Amino acid sequence: MAGYIGRRLLHLVGIMIAVSFLTFLLMYLAPGDAAAKKLNAQGVAVSEEIIEKTRESMGLNRPFLVQYGDWALHALQGDLGNSYKDDFPVAGKLARGLRYTAILAVTSLALAFAVALPLAILTALHKDSLLDDITRLFSFAGNSLPNFLISVLLMYFLCVKAHLLPLTASESVKGLVMPCLALSIPICGRFIRQFRAEILEQLGRPYVSGSMLRGVKQRYILGNVLHNSSISILTIVGLSIGTLLGGSVVIETIFRWPGLGKLAMDAITNRDYPVIQGFVLFTSTVYVVINLLIDICYSWVDPRLRKPGGRS
Amino acid sequence: MRKRIKTRTYLRRRLAVFLVLAGILVVISLIAPMLCPNDPNATSAAAMNQAPSAQYPFGTDRYGRCVCSRVLMGARTSIFSAVALVGLTFLAGTVLGLLAGWYGGLIDTLVMRLADVMLAFPQMVLAIAVAGILGGGMGNAMLAMGITGWTLYARLARAQTLALKEEPYVHAARLSGCSGWTIMAKTLLPNILGPMLVTAATQIGVMMIGIAGLSFLGIGVAEPQAEWGSMINGSRAYLQLAPWAVIAPAVATIITVMIFNYLGDCVRDALDVEVVR
Amino acid sequence: MKQSRKVFALLLALCMVFALAACGQTAAQAPSAAPADSSGTQSSGTESAAPAEPKFLKMAVNFAYPSLDAHKDYYGWYTQIYGVTETLFRIDADMSVQPLLAKGSSVSEDGLTWTFELADACFSNGNPVTADMVARNFRRLVEVNGRYEDWAAFTFEAKDEKTLAITTPDVFPTMLVALTDPEFAVMDLDATTDFDNAPIATGPFVIKSFKPEGDVEVVRNDNYWNGKAKLDGATLFYMPDADSKLLAMQSGEIDCYTSVDAAAKAIYETDPSSYVLTVIPGTRMQFYVINKTRLSDSVCAAINLTVDCEAIAEYLKGTTSAAVGPFIASAPYGQVTKPAPDPAAAKALLEADGYTLNADGYYAKGGKVLELSICHYKSRQLPDLAVLMQEQLKNIGVKATLVVQEDPDAGYVATGDYDIALYCMIADTGGDPYYCIDALYRESGKWAKAGFPTDEIEALINKLQFETDIDQRAALANQIVQESIDMNAFGYVGLFNKVSVARPGVSGFSENIPFDFYGLTADTDIG
Repeated sequence: MAGYIGRRLLHLVGIMIAVSFLTFLLMYLAPGDAAAKKLNAQGVAVSEEIIEKTRESMGLNRPFLVQYGDWALHALQGDLGNSYKDDFPVAGKLARGLRYTAILAVTSLALAFAVALPLAILTALHKDSLLDDITRLFSFAGNSLPNFLISVLLMYFLCVKAHLLPLTASESVKGLVMPCLALSIPICGRFIRQFRAEILEQLGRPYVSGSMLRGVKQRYILGNVLHNSSISILTIVGLSIGTLLGGSVVIETIFRWPGLGKLAMDAITNRDYPVIQGFVLFTSTVYVVINLLIDICYSWVDPRLRKPGGRS
Repeated sequence: MRKRIKTRTYLRRRLAVFLVLAGILVVISLIAPMLCPNDPNATSAAAMNQAPSAQYPFGTDRYGRCVCSRVLMGARTSIFSAVALVGLTFLAGTVLGLLAGWYGGLIDTLVMRLADVMLAFPQMVLAIAVAGILGGGMGNAMLAMGITGWTLYARLARAQTLALKEEPYVHAARLSGCSGWTIMAKTLLPNILGPMLVTAATQIGVMMIGIAGLSFLGIGVAEPQAEWGSMINGSRAYLQLAPWAVIAPAVATIITVMIFNYLGDCVRDALDVEVVR
Repeated sequence: MKQSRKVFALLLALCMVFALAACGQTAAQAPSAAPADSSGTQSSGTESAAPAEPKFLKMAVNFAYPSLDAHKDYYGWYTQIYGVTETLFRIDADMSVQPLLAKGSSVSEDGLTWTFELADACFSNGNPVTADMVARNFRRLVEVNGRYEDWAAFTFEAKDEKTLAITTPDVFPTMLVALTDPEFAVMDLDATTDFDNAPIATGPFVIKSFKPEGDVEVVRNDNYWNGKAKLDGATLFYMPDADSKLLAMQSGEIDCYTSVDAAAKAIYETDPSSYVLTVIPGTRMQFYVINKTRLSDSVCAAINLTVDCEAIAEYLKGTTSAAVGPFIASAPYGQVTKPAPDPAAAKALLEADGYTLNADGYYAKGGKVLELSICHYKSRQLPDLAVLMQEQLKNIGVKATLVVQEDPDAGYVATGDYDIALYCMIADTGGDPYYCIDALYRESGKWAKAGFPTDEIEALINKLQFETDIDQRAALANQIVQESIDMNAFGYVGLFNKVSVARPGVSGFSENIPFDFYGLTADTDIG
């Protein structure tokens, strides 16, 4: 187990290097001039000489590999550089954004999970019942409406019509309710579908009918079914957490939630390379770490996977 | 025994119904130009944000364009691109995931690390980069989505394969001398296909929204081409004044997504019965 | 036993899924302090209501920066909107330059030395504003802000306690306009310890709380040198999303904001008793550049005869006004004319050039369809313009394809790869045409690739740069802009209106000033 984790940690480093290098390359190849972006932020034109000087002082005229190497060396020391846009340390910006994104992601995921799992179990047990049909409709609608539309509808009905929640309460518990709802509705829709499919899959297995024939209590059978579905459920949840921690640009913007998604979007439009780099490095770390955790869970839950040849 | 046969006929009938519905959608998208009541791209200052009427069955949008005609024309772009994208990523992802799960070792490491790198890559950064380097347009938008899209299926397929690998019937197949390919194609694939198909069906909606999101960033379809997601996005500010311009494409999206989801469910159920048999 | 271990493992796995909650948990406490704080300010409005009803304004703003250091970047725009910083001169609603921290100015005979008499102003800490402090502020600005690098050649000098002299190497006729830039804010450089969060300046308000890239609260500056602010304070919410602003206005959570979009404007218009709209011509200009190196003169002329700016303005529902030239038509330097749209004449021009309509209804010459690319980017309603222009061109039989790019300055503007390029810029920075003309028509400028600039135009621009007579400047500007229209090199489509909305009674939040960088003043009131 220890060796396995060690090897995976090595992979982790490799992936992060690959990802950061790729990002640097892609951003380097993409059109857009950070210096011009910085100076033209409010639509005031600036002369070419000033742009050139700024480019020089920002180090944008150095060769690609030098820029990357310089960045990587500093990153290893925990210094992700300063934002081109406002000269503030990237690490601080990311930490601040992460705080808010993590709160939003965890609450949304918990909410979606808490709603989706019981519903998935119920609808799987009572397949094709009225409840199943209603749940299905809800999950399809939640899953196929763009989240900006869900957000606007929520705001219109909860804030303007019902006056239940304030729109201006950002960064507070009250301000968390709406982005959390807007974010968890589509996730919940997807979870219900995927969990239900997974549970149905297990219910169709011979061990279920066998147990039923032998008169094992339904409670125990359900326990077994859930246990056996847990691998796939874990994968599904784990994969969503990665996406969520990247932040939701649209929702974070609409609900004024100062998380990572908004930070990244601003950084991309401003060609703020240091922030983009830091963001990519961070999200990729989260991804690989979560994947690692999931894989470790797999082998824990299902010891067969630890056998030689059975492990990844 | 009798119950099972009944179920099978029922399932087959249901599958047929949704196949027909999906077929109708595809046909509509193919003959859309013939069904349009108006020119989908003609703007009219005299008819901006008009409520549904005989001339404009679903009303008009902010440029006075016929929403009904645009929804019909948008079917082609939205359905075709989403289905094609899901199909291709599903195929690539499932094959790679199966191989990785079954053979393990180097193939597994290569595939899964590639998937990790791709998954770890924030989609937005990738999309902007692809659009910046290759230019905008639908093809490139699909490429940007596809590059990361396959990893979902690959991971799921691998996880499923790993779980099934040690099942007695797989051991039996191996002991009876079946080649790896045969086992994968005949034993593993039908068993992992169920959850995979359901995921693929849900992904059609996700892809449709994703493409809309890219249109929002200026990468997807170019105006005035109609596409449901960008129609919703373009009209959302007018939600209080001209709700029909948002509702029509939104309902179209939900119906389409629903049909494909049901189809996925039916396929899975039908497969299930076959497997049990 | 094995069973329980598995259950435990499953639980643990679930915990791991939520492992990141750990980093969220410490943070969860932090924001919970925020509502207590903000409700504190809101309730203080009602609690201390006994003596006189305190007035707090709630306003939405479109940007938020991580710092309040007025000299850096564009932060000064927002410190000025917050009513915290002030400049020597300000621009009034009629585009005239008015003294603020300066009482008056004079320029030497040779035009190289400007002398400013400072008003009897003081900072919010009571310290007087001295000429030496102003000079040091300007030197700091030049040092820390790349956009003012050109100013490094200027000298700033305190003649006495209240007299400042600026010496320039060349004649600089637009000095007063330049000094209205919000970046020329004056801060107490000695007393300020934290420029990013707590600058000490001269405005009618001082910062009460500041969240980097978030909401800002200000309260009245009791030491304000120029009267007393009518408001007790204000909260400025950072709301970049148009729908959020509309809904917050409808739910009664904000009192006013500027830059209302067309959709929201139409909604406010349905209820004039609850919402007061103010629409004034702004300074952002939407225009297109025709690539004369790729298109024949007849095609260029046909494009300008086809694009109907009035019709486009009608679609944009009062958020823009149709333009003739880049400047407001009432300005002395906005006296230019252009022919009325005439699709028939445009068709005649194309046909005279040998184009004929093909089976699809598009003009073609020698079997090749005339196809124009309209390049634009997703901002400032340019996509709307592109769609409408495409439609107008299609109506006379010219095929146009839309090309949207994420970064025009690095894309089509830089490469010159366009037939028609749409763009939006601030045309008037304060009562003078030079800035815009310099940006648009120079041989070294970014639009030179479209083939318009000539040596004659360049000579005229050079003349304009150093001309000190106001009337002469206007005449030169009109001549240059008229040439750009007559040559069919540019098409000026619209001038953005500044559209503001407020509850009845709310006034004085700079809704009558065409610039984006004014906001709260001592006169801002909620009635």
